[in-house]
Amino acid sequence: MPDVTLTIDGKTVTVPAGTNIVDAARAGDVAIPVFCYHPKMKAVGMCRMCLVEVYTPKIDPATRQPVIGADGKPELALMMNKLQAGCVTPVSDGMVVKTVGERVEFAQRGVLEFLLTSHPLDCPVCDKGGECPLQNLTMEWGPGNSRYDYADKHHNVKPVALGDLIYLDRERCILCARCVRFQDEIAGDPVLGFDNRGRNWEIISKSEPAFDSKFSGNTTDICPVGALTSSDFRFKARVWELRSTPSVCNHCSVGCDISIDMRYNDLMRVMPRENDFVNEIWTCDKGRYGMRHIMSGERLKTPMIRRNNAWVAATWEEATRYVADRLTLVRANYGANALGGLAGAHLPNEDLYLFGKLFREVLGSNNIDHRRGTPDEPTALDDLPNILGVGAGTNLTTLGKGTAVLVIGADPEEEAPLYVLRLRGIADRGGDLTVVNSYPTKLARFAKSAVTVRPGAEAAFVQALLGAIFAEGSANEALAARLRGADELKRSVSGKPLADLAAAAGVAEATIRAIASSFVAAENGIIVYGRAAVGAGPALTQALANLALVGGKAGRANNGLIALTAEGNTRGALDMGVRPDRGPGGAAVTAGMSAREMWAAAKADTLKGMYIAGMNPAKSNTAVAEALSQLEFLVVQDLFMTETAQLAHVVLPVATVAERDGTFTNAERRVQRFQQARRAEGEAPADWSLFQEVARAVQAMAPASPTAAPAKKSAKARAAESNTAVAVAAPPASWDYLVSSDIADEISARVPGYKGTSYTSLELTRKSWGRQPNESFYYDGTSYENTEGVGVQLPALADDGKSVFQLAYREPAPAAADEQFPLTLLTVVRAYDGGEWMRGSKLVPRTVPAHVILSVADAQQLGVGIGEPVRISSAAGTLELRAQVDAGLSAGVVLLPLVKGADLASVLTGPQTRVSVAKA
Amino acid sequence: MLGEIVKGLRTTFKYLFKKPVTVQYPEVKRPVRERFRGRHELKRFENGMERCIGCALCAAACPADAILVIPGENDPAHPNSPGERYAATYEINMLRCIFCGYCEDACPTNAIVLEHQYELAYYDRKSAIYTKEMLLVPPDKGHGEIPPILQELNRRPSPPAQIDL
Ligand code: SF4
Ligand code: SF4
Ligand code: SF4
Ligand code: SF4
Ligand code: FES
Repeated sequence: MPDVTLTIDGKTVTVPAGTNIVDAARAGDVAIPVFCYHPKMKAVGMCRMCLVEVYTPKIDPATRQPVIGADGKPELALMMNKLQAGCVTPVSDGMVVKTVGERVEFAQRGVLEFLLTSHPLDCPVCDKGGECPLQNLTMEWGPGNSRYDYADKHHNVKPVALGDLIYLDRERCILCARCVRFQDEIAGDPVLGFDNRGRNWEIISKSEPAFDSKFSGNTTDICPVGALTSSDFRFKARVWELRSTPSVCNHCSVGCDISIDMRYNDLMRVMPRENDFVNEIWTCDKGRYGMRHIMSGERLKTPMIRRNNAWVAATWEEATRYVADRLTLVRANYGANALGGLAGAHLPNEDLYLFGKLFREVLGSNNIDHRRGTPDEPTALDDLPNILGVGAGTNLTTLGKGTAVLVIGADPEEEAPLYVLRLRGIADRGGDLTVVNSYPTKLARFAKSAVTVRPGAEAAFVQALLGAIFAEGSANEALAARLRGADELKRSVSGKPLADLAAAAGVAEATIRAIASSFVAAENGIIVYGRAAVGAGPALTQALANLALVGGKAGRANNGLIALTAEGNTRGALDMGVRPDRGPGGAAVTAGMSAREMWAAAKADTLKGMYIAGMNPAKSNTAVAEALSQLEFLVVQDLFMTETAQLAHVVLPVATVAERDGTFTNAERRVQRFQQARRAEGEAPADWSLFQEVARAVQAMAPASPTAAPAKKSAKARAAESNTAVAVAAPPASWDYLVSSDIADEISARVPGYKGTSYTSLELTRKSWGRQPNESFYYDGTSYENTEGVGVQLPALADDGKSVFQLAYREPAPAAADEQFPLTLLTVVRAYDGGEWMRGSKLVPRTVPAHVILSVADAQQLGVGIGEPVRISSAAGTLELRAQVDAGLSAGVVLLPLVKGADLASVLTGPQTRVSVAKA
Repeated sequence: MLGEIVKGLRTTFKYLFKKPVTVQYPEVKRPVRERFRGRHELKRFENGMERCIGCALCAAACPADAILVIPGENDPAHPNSPGERYAATYEINMLRCIFCGYCEDACPTNAIVLEHQYELAYYDRKSAIYTKEMLLVPPDKGHGEIPPILQELNRRPSPPAQIDL
């Protein structure tokens, strides 16, 4: 866009055309006070706080030329002959803006006096006090006193609950509509609105249940007064008493930057921290209200050893020595292969790395995994993002027109909530958003085209897209030189008529053509895929890779794949080698057992000892609980006495994310650092430090070689294992990490790709978009400026500009007709899943009991009403649950939400289970 | 020489017949000045409600970091103080306090007042911390009404800053 030059308070400013006066002034470091305007939302001009004098060159109506005055300069005229609202007035060439002066000040004072006519001014009670824009603007621009009678103030019953999380104080509300607009324009849950008029004008929630949004907490941030407060923080502390520590949310794969606000050692609130690459200035309610577990009184405090079926408290040294003892004993008696380890993928990279090292290098076992081993987990581990993931420097905030986003097999709202905002933002700015899923998702509402595919036909759909690209000959040549096997692929795909491919996918040919051509034609293309996509099998991931490559959408910033992984640091777990098939950074190892194989082995009595850290696989899974109780030795390292911990022989408490340092790797492969905010109860150490203690104790017991275990029969195999395991680099013999950055340094030295992720580089901050000295008007009391580092995005393999890719064709599995089990059951993630992280959280009432979701057609056919029990049967077993009906769901698909309470494993056979449903 | 001794003794003799100013503390206590800044008290309104609304402005003003306020939310049925917030915990560490009176200045409701008690001695540091129970005056010692307009409204009034004598 052409630039426009104007003068603001004597300063000459050049900004792109279309910029409003407030933003232009910001660029020139001139402060114009605002209430309703927020740079992330459209200007509405509701509050009139931004009134300024705007002069434009006078135009001679006859000649249509600027009138030149006596002094040789263009003559100026006051726009409309009155003050203008700066936030809704676009700049124009030659404009002269005055933000000071009697007239403007009179207006500003008037606006503030008027806003305060009925404002309670109970700042000492108000939670916003101390970070309140109304306080600050009144101090700077307001009148010293009011002409209105204090006793005339309008009074309202103090707080009304907008929902269970957010309370509204109508006396304080200045009706700026920032909250309403946030819900409409950014969150996409238009659940707030205005009601009544005049003095009774107020904000109401229009949804049932009230304020039904996963982003509701953000409204309390952007509300310029203390009208919106959260039940989580109300009257807990005054904001100036808080000590903020930079942290990163590990509840999902977005990895939002957050700030943990503490008073002394107590968590007061969680606030978003600005990071354009990750969460802009937002965070979801899960991250904001889901951190209370760190303060839970139920947390384990001392290590405990089970003796004679009773828990006995032990010292740390006793406990770790005992663990090492018993693990060594199991290894001596049954071989290293009888040991298995599971570490939750919400643990930081440092811990995961040392966990792998403990198992591979000290205990000599490759049986480690980060998955829970439920039947619905995909068998294959997905490394595609490391190869074709979005290129380094990707910033979704900057994308809009010219960007095509294909979201397939994912439900971002439940899997990684903030992606809804991010992807919707791209669509809002003119990008092409296509949502493909086999059940309805919220994101589909914002899509240019939303496609429902039959479960199992996802790969066929992508194949059809490829077919359309080949049919139109529109393949993007950007990566052509680096592709191998392109012709074979083209032949295999083009072998079938496009109509057949489209029919196999169950999608109209025209739709397929339209999606394919807009994806290929776009300047930037991003493919987001999630749980359902990975569950659909390798044929789909392969097809997605083909699509990205053929479409030329890989190997550079803002192009490539984004995989929404199951947990906050799944990407890190895969990279750190907490997986049976590969070591850190993808190093080759002898494949060990996966979690699912471990359960089978434990049942078969070949797996004897397990180390489970930060995972609760026994929850809602009786089969696993049974397997675990057969073990000879089980050590569980966790925050709480979980179902799994109850089966353990030793329980080791650990520190939470808030009580230690570390790094996480998010879905876009951005490594981000978090810092310690508080001391742990009972001085519980970080997970890695316990791994280190155990490793040291094991080494002290068998100083010669970890593989020199007495069991002879598999000595050779184990030697081979340990050889391959250490092939990454020569292992430092000693375990002498003092702080987590020691491990981070080793990771960046030993794990390819993690080079350059030392804590120092993670701390680098780039100046976020236009933070200015007068930013406080936008951000007072809202998101924190990021001064502690935006993290480092790992490059994808394709970024190197030279590696070549083998395209391969995989025949999508044909639709299986099954008489006995006519329906397809999919497990779907729920953001509020009732996990350990929810303990003590205000979100607990939002969890739902286990249920099953049927389509209207299926429900009618079965004669099942909402809330009635149904029996689900599959090849694996049966399960009885109450039914819900979803009007958007296609017939033949049954959804099983992954929430606490039902033994889901008893009925599942895989990511997509064939079932029959009957009225119970 | 002699002259000087006589001169000095004259002063001695003069005071011998004057009334002594010594006060037999602790049997007798000398009254302090009206504006003396001694141990704090947390005041009440006439109706027995606590004046303190738990705003922690006193703690923010305190140069010695002697005050700890942990706020809580009033139960609308049985409010401790007018408004939504009250001090669930209120403590002053008298060993830290320098009796500057800044807290009194900062308080928007005139709740915290430095009163006239100055006998502050402790056997251990812990007992130098005065809790809310120790600082709060008895319910019948309240003074100053909540402005009638706010009482009339028959709801919890919002502007504590306006509630004053
Ligand atoms: S509640 Fe806050 S954000 Fe919403 S309209 Fe009122 S003042 Fe504005
Ligand atoms: S979107 Fe994900 S990372 Fe961000 S706050 Fe929510 S759960 Fe945490
Ligand atoms: S008198 Fe001064 S030092 Fe003592 S508590 Fe009050 S503000 Fe603090
Ligand atoms: S300033 Fe006054 S009202 Fe506020 S906490 Fe202190 S004593 Fe209570
Ligand atoms: S009218 Fe411009 S900021 Fe509200």
